[in-house]
Amino acid sequence: MKQFLIYITKVLLITILIAIVLDGLYTYVFLQSKNRGKIEDVFNSKTRNYDVVILGSSRANNHFDAQMFQDNGLKAFNFGMSGGHLFEASLLLKLMVERKYEIKNVILEADLNLASQHEAEGISALFLPYIHNSKIIKNHFAGKENFNELYYIPFYRYIKYETKIGCRETFFAAIHKKTNQLDNLGYRGLERHKNANMKNNIAKLNPLPHNKYYEEIKNICKANNINFIAVMTPMCENVVGMNYFDKVKKSYPEIHNYENVIVEDKYFSSCGHMNDTGSKMFTAKILKNFFKK
Amino acid sequence: MFFNSLAFAIFLPTVFFLYWFVFNKTKSAQNALLIIASYYFYSCWDWRFLFLLVFSTFLDYYTGIQIEKGKSEKSRKFWFWLSIIVNLGFLGMFKYYNFFASSFSDLLNSIGIKASPILLEVILPVGISFYTFHGLSYVIDIYYKRIKAEYNFVDYSLFVSYFPLLVAGPIERATHLLPEIKVKREFDLEKAKEGICQIIWGLVKKIVIADTCATYANAIFDNYTSMNSFSLILGAVYFAFQIYGDFSGYSDIALGVSKLFGLDLLRNFNYPYFSRDIAEFWRRWHISLSSWFRDYLYIPLGGSKGGLWMKIRNTFIIFIISGFWHGANWTYVAWGFINAVYFLPLLLSNSNRNNMDDIRLKFDFDSAKVMMSILYTFLLTCIAWVFFRARTITDAVEYLKRIIVNKDFSFQYLDNERYSYEILLMIGVFVLIEWNNRTKLEPLSGKRSMLKIALAITAVIAFGTFSDYKEFIYFQF
Repeated sequence: MKQFLIYITKVLLITILIAIVLDGLYTYVFLQSKNRGKIEDVFNSKTRNYDVVILGSSRANNHFDAQMFQDNGLKAFNFGMSGGHLFEASLLLKLMVERKYEIKNVILEADLNLASQHEAEGISALFLPYIHNSKIIKNHFAGKENFNELYYIPFYRYIKYETKIGCRETFFAAIHKKTNQLDNLGYRGLERHKNANMKNNIAKLNPLPHNKYYEEIKNICKANNINFIAVMTPMCENVVGMNYFDKVKKSYPEIHNYENVIVEDKYFSSCGHMNDTGSKMFTAKILKNFFKK
Repeated sequence: MFFNSLAFAIFLPTVFFLYWFVFNKTKSAQNALLIIASYYFYSCWDWRFLFLLVFSTFLDYYTGIQIEKGKSEKSRKFWFWLSIIVNLGFLGMFKYYNFFASSFSDLLNSIGIKASPILLEVILPVGISFYTFHGLSYVIDIYYKRIKAEYNFVDYSLFVSYFPLLVAGPIERATHLLPEIKVKREFDLEKAKEGICQIIWGLVKKIVIADTCATYANAIFDNYTSMNSFSLILGAVYFAFQIYGDFSGYSDIALGVSKLFGLDLLRNFNYPYFSRDIAEFWRRWHISLSSWFRDYLYIPLGGSKGGLWMKIRNTFIIFIISGFWHGANWTYVAWGFINAVYFLPLLLSNSNRNNMDDIRLKFDFDSAKVMMSILYTFLLTCIAWVFFRARTITDAVEYLKRIIVNKDFSFQYLDNERYSYEILLMIGVFVLIEWNNRTKLEPLSGKRSMLKIALAITAVIAFGTFSDYKEFIYFQF
């Protein structure tokens, strides 16, 4: 039995050792990666200057054409992330500030995402390779339920989110395989689909009265003299529960309601996302109203 | 509690410690601990079904004794049929009642008689097909005087409820497991080491092969109408490896865990995809079920000894029932039927026992023929698996039809955000490892075992699928 216990201890030690080695290897690869996504692009970057930084979910990513800002003499980048919540937008802005980005304006898409303070697992996982290399990321995740496992168990985060930061993603990062996420200054224009779903029901959705991460973003901007512009972006005509946007306006009077500036279905790719044409019209309005362009 | 869960990783060492350090004095103490552990293990799914398990155990225990004690044939028959009817009654009620009720109702509706079935709102107790078959084989063996009845209730309960085989087999025989349970187990270092190797290899099969293949197979089968020929072919292959990795992985873990407790369970898989014909496949796939049906159904029906019609009848009965055992759906029946169609020509031409020897390859024409026959057999099984996996028979037929008519062999991007071909290399490596170790129980033991274990653990950690967690397929049966 003693021999067996030694044997099993060896197997366990090997397992721990493998987890530590793989953890180090994967983290090293992600620390070298620059061309696969917005998070690693920011994390592995140094000082940058922007006139306009756009943050939010896919409704920011697909709605603000950063090139139009650029064409009007404003250096801009769209850091909106499809599937992301304000949890990730806030953390990304914190990292930018830590890297001493000089940002004049932040445009935050703040509408449907105000209803949640949870992280979007698929997006927040992309920060986790750096959790041991950044106090900001560590502190941002510190309150989360599974923080201890993610932080202290070697390789656990890569196992838990293997579809996002597992061996496949690590392999592509190692060979520097480029994605299209950073193309078009981060903006991703959508096409109009013939059979797209042009209905939505948000009647049960309610904005949180004091969304922690929205307030965080607002405060970071204030502390760093960044002009903060929060906007609600358009949705298609057939939405049930459109008074959601009135509720947002009531709780957050400083958020500009642009929900109804584009309404016709022909400008939408799906109910919550405008197509490229709609997005360009919308961006033009934003440029005119906030930047006098 | 799944074998590949954190809960089991705590449960197993705890039971192991208690078994060898606290309850190690007598056989009764060992068995009592394993019973408690098994009931706890089972109750982790749904404690209410524990009563069903205990009832089924007691029924077979009691009827077994009554059959043995029975002075007249009439009394023996009475207890025998009571056990059979109650056991199959429970199985039928929980597993098949709703299926038959709705199928009958559909039939009546199709001929213009309006009918709405009365359906039971019950969930299928996990492992019911497995422990029912344990009990049935025990009672049948006593009735035919192949074994003596077991008078020690704890020992008998352990035979039925032993946790490694409780929910997904292998389906044990009283003739095999009871004698092991009846003696005190002494710790055997080599056996325990083998057990660890088998557990780790089982985890590789489940987490690396089965669960990864599952994400691809699901993405293809669930959207088969938009898939091209190449993706559909890959989907069938992926499902073949999913179900093999899943079920044989579970069996490996069950066998490995048992070895830690000094018990040897029946081998359930013997590299089935290296079979040279369908008859050999069925000697290598889910061996405990195939041999159960052979011994308790096929042979009592007359086996292959009768005339032509009897052979045909028995072949179809055994395969269709075997298919139906897997679940209450016509797709399983179709799967059984197809396998009967595959098997029958071999039986009728007396070539069903042609490939009983080990496969040895050289660089010659005969070896090329062997390789071709292996590939051909795999192709046949993949076609049958399409019926097993599809939601309906129509879906399965459409799936196969689309492979032929679509004729597009380009790579497709799937719903799981991966290209259809991406795991082919991994499957290739897995097949190569299994091929090179086909004479062994698993590839990790033997020379440089620690290195191989380290590589297997690396594979599980680095290449396993964890986020899209899947329970073992055979739990539903």
